[in-house]
Amino acid sequence: MKEKLIEFIRDEFLDEPDTEITENTKLISSGMIDSFSLVSLQAFIQQEFGKRIPAPRITAESFDTVKQMIEVIKQF
Amino acid sequence: MSYSDQTRLSYQRTLQDIEEKGLYKNERIICDRQGAEVKVEFPVGSEQKQLINMCSNNYLGLSSHPDVIKAAHEALDHRGYGLSSVRFICGTQDIHKELEARLSTFLGTEDTILFSSCFDANAAVFETLLDENDIMISDRLVHASIIDGMRLAKAQHDTYKHSDMKHLRKKLEMYQDRPRKIIITDGVFSMDGDIAKLDEIVQLAEEFDAMVFVDDSHATGFMGKNGRGIHELCGVWGKIDVITTTFGKALGGASGGCVSGHKELIDLLRQRGRPYLFSNTLAPTITMATMKVIDILEASTERRDKLESNMIWWRKALSDAGFIIVEGDSPIVPIMFYDAKLAQAFSNDLYQEGVFAVGFFFPVVAQGQARIRTQLSAAHDMEHLERAIAAFVKIGKKYNILGKSKEELLQINQ
Repeated sequence: MKEKLIEFIRDEFLDEPDTEITENTKLISSGMIDSFSLVSLQAFIQQEFGKRIPAPRITAESFDTVKQMIEVIKQF
Repeated sequence: MSYSDQTRLSYQRTLQDIEEKGLYKNERIICDRQGAEVKVEFPVGSEQKQLINMCSNNYLGLSSHPDVIKAAHEALDHRGYGLSSVRFICGTQDIHKELEARLSTFLGTEDTILFSSCFDANAAVFETLLDENDIMISDRLVHASIIDGMRLAKAQHDTYKHSDMKHLRKKLEMYQDRPRKIIITDGVFSMDGDIAKLDEIVQLAEEFDAMVFVDDSHATGFMGKNGRGIHELCGVWGKIDVITTTFGKALGGASGGCVSGHKELIDLLRQRGRPYLFSNTLAPTITMATMKVIDILEASTERRDKLESNMIWWRKALSDAGFIIVEGDSPIVPIMFYDAKLAQAFSNDLYQEGVFAVGFFFPVVAQGQARIRTQLSAAHDMEHLERAIAAFVKIGKKYNILGKSKEELLQINQ
């Protein structure tokens, strides 16, 4: 799951594909991803992992790192 | 009433937090009509200053046009001040129907519905026209009102990279089994001033049987040879399914907006669009003044032509002086500073030199993309632009930024 999320984030959001991302990289608070783009992450999670995460659970705070995302996804 | 100390404190803390993050917005008080030059009081209580206005959406200089003002006065005399009603009870006058028909002709669509603002128009469209089986695919830099409108809808939402047609195609492929698909974009993007690739978007829409939605608020009245908007400019006249736009920018600048498109869509918005059903009808003054604006624009392209030549002159003058601007063909011309402190300091100095232009930085724009956004108007004469560029150059020399690259600009505040 971790690798798939990182690969998606790299392809989908980053202009420079060589940027290093780990599970602890701050994505939204650092300005790397804007919070509006989280809807695409929500769509990807549904498509790839078959989990529909309700919008209120996907916030700039709860989805700031890949590690946090995985924690939320596991609850569904 | 119960507004306890604890409640008050919670709001005070939020405001303090906004202030500490440097995001608190202080309004500049205009003590004048909108125009190429305005008297401004800032901060409140300070002496008024005469400034060249380089930050309004008054693209065609019609906000204080005598014929537009006269039309508003006539509306007061003949149709009154207000209707005290929503449209479907007793808020529809002959002039509302007339304006809707005029807009349909002006934009080349089947029908049009008026709203109190384009924000309301965008709030109505997606929730009314789509259901949970449908998909909305939007550009990532669309206006906040579209984002809020999409949030109200039950349809699923996905985004594509800004103006990236390969990425849009990929998303359309992903969702091709959805019953209704809609591609959503601004005509002109307000922060960068760049233009949607509407010809390519329409081509993709036809290939994948998707509708196209365009918010043309920063284009209606002046983009395209006859000022009809980005669909005219991109050669896709009559091929846009839903156009939303505002009367609050080039078309007189008061307020109000509309949705224009296929007649079934407009009719459905009349029946079910919540911001339409539950907010007041457009004031008669705005309705008649907007019709006068359309009269002016249909009679001559003089204003949009002047705006275009001002835009070309201003873009060249800034580039020649050594500023980094976002290239484009719209009258929104952002000057890049990248560093927020530099953009803020520059904007403050401009104010002292008699030029009104505001800095934008994170979170309004992406991190490290701080800029001053300038906007041209047909109200600007060459004398205004020459004075404004002289001020920009003077301050540019002070900070030693002329001819500098992005990397060099980022070093300045290190």
